[in-house]
Amino acid sequence: MIQLLGLLRSRLALRAAASILAIVGVLGIVFLVAAVHLRAASEKDIQQMRLEGLISTVERTAQIACFLGDSQLADEVTQGLLSNRIVKEARLVRRDGSALADHTNTNTNTNTNTNTNEHSSGVALTRTIKSPFETDKTVCELTLVPDQEWIDSMVNEATRFLSVALILQLLGIGLSVILVVFYFVTRPISDISQKLHALEAETGQKLPAPSGHGRDEIGKLVISVNAMIDRLVSSLSEERRQRLARDIEQRRYRTLFDNVEAGIFELDDQGHLLSANPAFCRLFLGGKPFDREGPPIALTTLIHDGGPTMQELTTRRARRDGTRQWEMAVGEGDQQRWVNVMVSRLEEGRLQGVAHDITERRHAAEAAERLAVTDPLTGIGNRLGFERRLELIQRHYRLHPDSRHALMMLDFDHFKQINDRHGHHAGDQVLEQIAGLMRDISRQHDYPARLGGDEFVLLLDHRTPRDDLDGMAQRLTDSINAPLVLDSGQQVSLGVSIGIAVLGSDASEVTTLVQLADLAMYRAKREGRNTWRFHDRHHPFET
Amino acid sequence: MPRFTRLARATTMALLLISTTARADIAIVINEASPVRQLSHSEAVNIFMGRYRRLPDNSVALPIDQAPLKARFYRALVQKDMAEINSYWARLVFSGRASPPQQTETLDDVVDIVTHNANALGYVDAGLLPPHLRVLLTLSESP
Repeated sequence: MIQLLGLLRSRLALRAAASILAIVGVLGIVFLVAAVHLRAASEKDIQQMRLEGLISTVERTAQIACFLGDSQLADEVTQGLLSNRIVKEARLVRRDGSALADHTNTNTNTNTNTNTNEHSSGVALTRTIKSPFETDKTVCELTLVPDQEWIDSMVNEATRFLSVALILQLLGIGLSVILVVFYFVTRPISDISQKLHALEAETGQKLPAPSGHGRDEIGKLVISVNAMIDRLVSSLSEERRQRLARDIEQRRYRTLFDNVEAGIFELDDQGHLLSANPAFCRLFLGGKPFDREGPPIALTTLIHDGGPTMQELTTRRARRDGTRQWEMAVGEGDQQRWVNVMVSRLEEGRLQGVAHDITERRHAAEAAERLAVTDPLTGIGNRLGFERRLELIQRHYRLHPDSRHALMMLDFDHFKQINDRHGHHAGDQVLEQIAGLMRDISRQHDYPARLGGDEFVLLLDHRTPRDDLDGMAQRLTDSINAPLVLDSGQQVSLGVSIGIAVLGSDASEVTTLVQLADLAMYRAKREGRNTWRFHDRHHPFET
Repeated sequence: MPRFTRLARATTMALLLISTTARADIAIVINEASPVRQLSHSEAVNIFMGRYRRLPDNSVALPIDQAPLKARFYRALVQKDMAEINSYWARLVFSGRASPPQQTETLDDVVDIVTHNANALGYVDAGLLPPHLRVLLTLSESP
């Protein structure tokens, strides 16, 4: 059964035949049942008519037999009636009820008679027989009982014949449908299927239509399949061409990506690295290749100084913005590199960055900057450096009003005489040695500078207590008072007058601070030279 | 009784005379000596068609056919032509149950048989009624 179902599923011809057989079979059964019913209904009338006809045939003879009471003739009549198979019983009864002739057909099968007794005889037909000469006189009654069993068997036989004919017709139709479907549909379709399997569409090969099916639906199907193959092949080759072009493009970019000096990287929206090229690895990872599968690396953890915070990098606003740039330091000490990083949004949740090594440029800039603020003769700060430092201090003081920056202004006694006596070269040597002394005394955050000529200043760390300032000034004076040995072997002695003013205590502006220190220095000079004076508000503006 | 007979005869004669002028009738006749005075139409049919060969007084009846008048008589009696009558008798020949009446060729033969046989029944044209015969039934012919 399951095999049959499987066969039905896989065979179009069988399925079509089975469907048609089922439909025709159902219709046939309906028609057959209807026909049998109609036949049974009309059979009664037909039998009635046949019996009437029989009676009419024998009526005249029956009339005479009854008229004369001739039982021999009556027997002839009834026997004649019984010779017809549809008559089971024929009776001629006189008016007084006595039978003139009564015969029953004995040909009926006795074995079927027993069990179909009640159905074996149909409705009896009775006809009054008139006198042949006086039509108003009744002489007999003729009763015919039809043989229902025989009639039924006839009907059954007809029905059987119809059924057999129907079944044969169904079989014929089924076979024809199978053959037709197989020949016109299934075979061409499996033919197409096999050819389609073996078809090498890439070579431009076309599917041939099965012979005789060029113009019908199967032919159209083949045409459609060919059109589809054409479209597929052309779109496939187009795809291939595009893929090739894309591959070349990709290789080009890959080469650029791998070999470019700039570091190229991608970040997700958490600031973690998604990809990095070798240049980036050299810059940020110390040459180790980027491991895509390794633990996530946040860009901010690679930066030593100056880069964006994680939030700056990843907030929504920052991501929406265009390209942003940072300069940052990577690594420490001698290994420190300066990198310029440009980050732009590639797509949602994806940032792309380009990193340039700007260490050399930055070093050059720093060197230039240093050169600009350095006194070329002595190597300590010059006037520009001093002014820059003052601006820094001013900013620092505004942020931290409790800081105390002290400014010492130095003026050497009789420096001009050294120049005049020993020459400029000796003067320069003296200036260099003074600068060396100041550098020796200066602590890490102190700033010595030469503003020009013999004009020196020392800006002290804001954390220096006032009491220490005296010590500093004393040491400075002592070291300068010690004899200086020139290249020529000559010894010179110098005195120094120092004016000291403190930002925050004496002044709140650096310009005032410089003036106050200057005034204090002049006071020291006036009050005996080779000494130091703090700014004293009680002697503010002495001339 | 002779008065009555005479009266009846006179009446019959008168009727016959009247009817002759109107139509030809056929009279079933019997010997004057027969005690039978009258015969119904059914009895006439039964006797001539062979059903019962008995007179109303239960004596045997002997019907006689007369060739020249036979067709008219059966038409008047049972409304059938000679072919049908012959076919009727032909059916009964083999069963032997009944036999057709005795056949005669002329009116004289009939009169001869009836006058010599008290049980003989014949038929004659009512307009040409021979003497000494009793009329039992007069059949009127359809026009």
